[in-house]
Amino acid sequence: MAIEKTDVVIVGVGAVGGILAAELGKAGMKVIGLERGPRLTTADFNPHDELRYFQRQELRPNWRKQPVTWRPNTGVRAHPMNILNYGNQAGGGTVHYGTLSWRMHEDDFRARSQTIERYGASAIPQDSSLADWPVTYADLEPFYDQAEYDLGVSGKAGNLQGRKIDGGNVFEAPRNREYPLPALLMDQSGVLFAEGAKKLGYHPFSSPRAIISEPYHDRPSCTYCGFCQSFGCHVGAKSSILVTKLPEADATGNFKLLTGATCYHVNTDNSGRATGVSYYGPDGSDNTIEADLVILAPFIYDNTRLLLLSKTAKFPNGLANSSGQLGKHVMAHIMAKVFAAYDDRYVNVYMGPSAQKHTIDDFNADNFDHSGLGFLRGAQISIGPADLEAGPIGTAMSMDPPPGTPKWGAAYRDFLGKYFARYGALNAQTENLAYADQTIDLDPDVRDQWGMPAPRVTYDWRRPNEVARVEFLMQKMEGVARAMGATKVWRAALSPGVPGAHHEGGTRMGNDPKTSVVNRYGQTWDIPNLFLIGSSTFPSMSGFNPTLTIQALTYMSADAIVKRYKNKPGPLV
Amino acid sequence: MTKHDASRRAFLVRAAVGAGAAAGAGLVPDAIAQNHDHMEGGAAAPGAQHPSGSEHGAFFNHADAATIAAFTERLMPSAPDKPGARDADVLNYIDLALAGAYAELQDFYRRGLAQLEAYCRGTYKEPFVRLKPEQQDEVITALENGKATGFAYPTAREFFGILRTHTMEGMFADPLYGGNKDFAGWRLVGFPGAQAVFTPSDMQSKQAFSREPIVGLQTIAKGPAGRA
Repeated sequence: MAIEKTDVVIVGVGAVGGILAAELGKAGMKVIGLERGPRLTTADFNPHDELRYFQRQELRPNWRKQPVTWRPNTGVRAHPMNILNYGNQAGGGTVHYGTLSWRMHEDDFRARSQTIERYGASAIPQDSSLADWPVTYADLEPFYDQAEYDLGVSGKAGNLQGRKIDGGNVFEAPRNREYPLPALLMDQSGVLFAEGAKKLGYHPFSSPRAIISEPYHDRPSCTYCGFCQSFGCHVGAKSSILVTKLPEADATGNFKLLTGATCYHVNTDNSGRATGVSYYGPDGSDNTIEADLVILAPFIYDNTRLLLLSKTAKFPNGLANSSGQLGKHVMAHIMAKVFAAYDDRYVNVYMGPSAQKHTIDDFNADNFDHSGLGFLRGAQISIGPADLEAGPIGTAMSMDPPPGTPKWGAAYRDFLGKYFARYGALNAQTENLAYADQTIDLDPDVRDQWGMPAPRVTYDWRRPNEVARVEFLMQKMEGVARAMGATKVWRAALSPGVPGAHHEGGTRMGNDPKTSVVNRYGQTWDIPNLFLIGSSTFPSMSGFNPTLTIQALTYMSADAIVKRYKNKPGPLV
Repeated sequence: MTKHDASRRAFLVRAAVGAGAAAGAGLVPDAIAQNHDHMEGGAAAPGAQHPSGSEHGAFFNHADAATIAAFTERLMPSAPDKPGARDADVLNYIDLALAGAYAELQDFYRRGLAQLEAYCRGTYKEPFVRLKPEQQDEVITALENGKATGFAYPTAREFFGILRTHTMEGMFADPLYGGNKDFAGWRLVGFPGAQAVFTPSDMQSKQAFSREPIVGLQTIAKGPAGRA
């Protein structure tokens, strides 16, 4: 059993861990990062292979070895989910993600207050735990800016210091300066979507993405090959942690990355202080790292799981759980979809960055009046392929044929043969509300390859508020699809209650130790030298992909650790 | 590609041809019509019409191969200028996958095939490969809707779902994996493969993309990606 000592140990070296490794390393702190998977390079991603990376999910956890189980309610047994939407290598999900890089709206940070002010408290579903964040957009703006410029995000501003700009997102919160890189080129699905949306008076714009449209920081620009979501980038134009922060962390001389290292326990002492972590090495060895500062930055399930597994006599309900909120308020996006297909032209949606290419924000957040609609909050609506990647396997798996056409046989063959290159899919990424009974806990029946109980998600998105919102958005998307001049317009089937993309919550942040697990910096209220950083801390989720907000929060936490905590360890709030 | 030895190739080709014969005329070679249970376990039946011991799939025995070939061909039928499962060699893809990446599904397939045969014999008094195409479609529909009786593990829906998924993988995965023969699947839908670059003018086109070649992991093919 090896024991190592360090200043900081980070569990999970992905979107969060990579930034922390570089920023804390630059400040002279000795950092060890534990990463469950391998460290790959850009050369590993050439040529592209849809079977391997999309269908067999090689950049994601193997659900048989590292199961996460799901059940719609507490009355039934949970079963492993066969798609896990996060990464399993250094760089984490940023290696294979679609790169959507959003700043949340001002009202996304105060959805509860905004709702009460505009619609009254009774508008909030009684069983929802909708809450404001302990941080405002204005607090986070400098760190959004830092993330965009440090990592490399392409887009066009729609609100520069309050000045609205056509062609950008006019609903976005005011930004201090333009994006570091111009918007990516439009593909034909984006052109059609923009034309249709404008006809209806909406405000389409190129989705901001962490893919560089021009050479940046010694990296070459995007080649528009289309292999983004599910794939590593073959030229390094995707601003993943692999090509941005990890080289920077290496250069500090203060960072050590341990791959194949699975953390199984957070160690604490009788004084209630974290002393480090224990992990299994790639050879099955049992090892311990002693650290002054412990930061958990895995995907959301493992925050809750590790804290529950690390319970002691002093922390009988799991670490950092004096509030009783650990594992609660879990959220996920649902992707409601409408297909638009053309008999008279090609669309070739497989060209260009694949995910959520062009957007309207008109029906997101509180950008529209919800009076009388029977639901709160909205969705980002975008155009792209059926399942965020556009290859033929993904299309065959995810593109439901129109009503009346079977999913196999000669008619299906002809459908796929005709429309594979002649369609676009509109996608509403819904902001589902938080509910306290949507939870993560330890599965009593299923264990992973190391013998640890699997994280178990209890979740069903089909709440009245959510169902009403999806129907509203479906109708809006059908309207846009028709305005796009599509020959055929039809809805995709909705998922059963299973959580969709971007799982969030479980270690909610707040201003009050009685109702939250961590403060605005991700510092646990109960154990000041234990931090949890990532989307597990989100009190609400917005209709946007979470990564840039996760990264902005990470820069903010790194700043507070370097400027304040490093010299005077203790509560930051 | 050591698994692509000549005898295995012959085995698979014959199974696929058998499927075509079944679909075309309702007739199959006696070897293919052997009782599934009899063939289970790899015991080669005696007689000239049976495969010799050296002719085998990477996973499937001859009878199972014939069933899979016939089933997948109904899921994605071949027609002139419209490549289907037989043209793409979907059987070869699934056979290789079950001997490798999907080895954990071997039992799933064995049990699923046995249940399928029992269902067909119970309902039609014939194995799946001997049924007329319309009857085969009835069987597949019953699986898809969970109406086929006698399925426990896998359930009828699960078996249908995996067979559909693996058929699509065999149609559209890179030919390196044994299916999508000569880019048959990619030609069907007009997918140009793993192109490293699309140009601004590619992105502006309202036409089918037709620049040669189709790009695969090990091979490239001349000729337009789309159908002629």
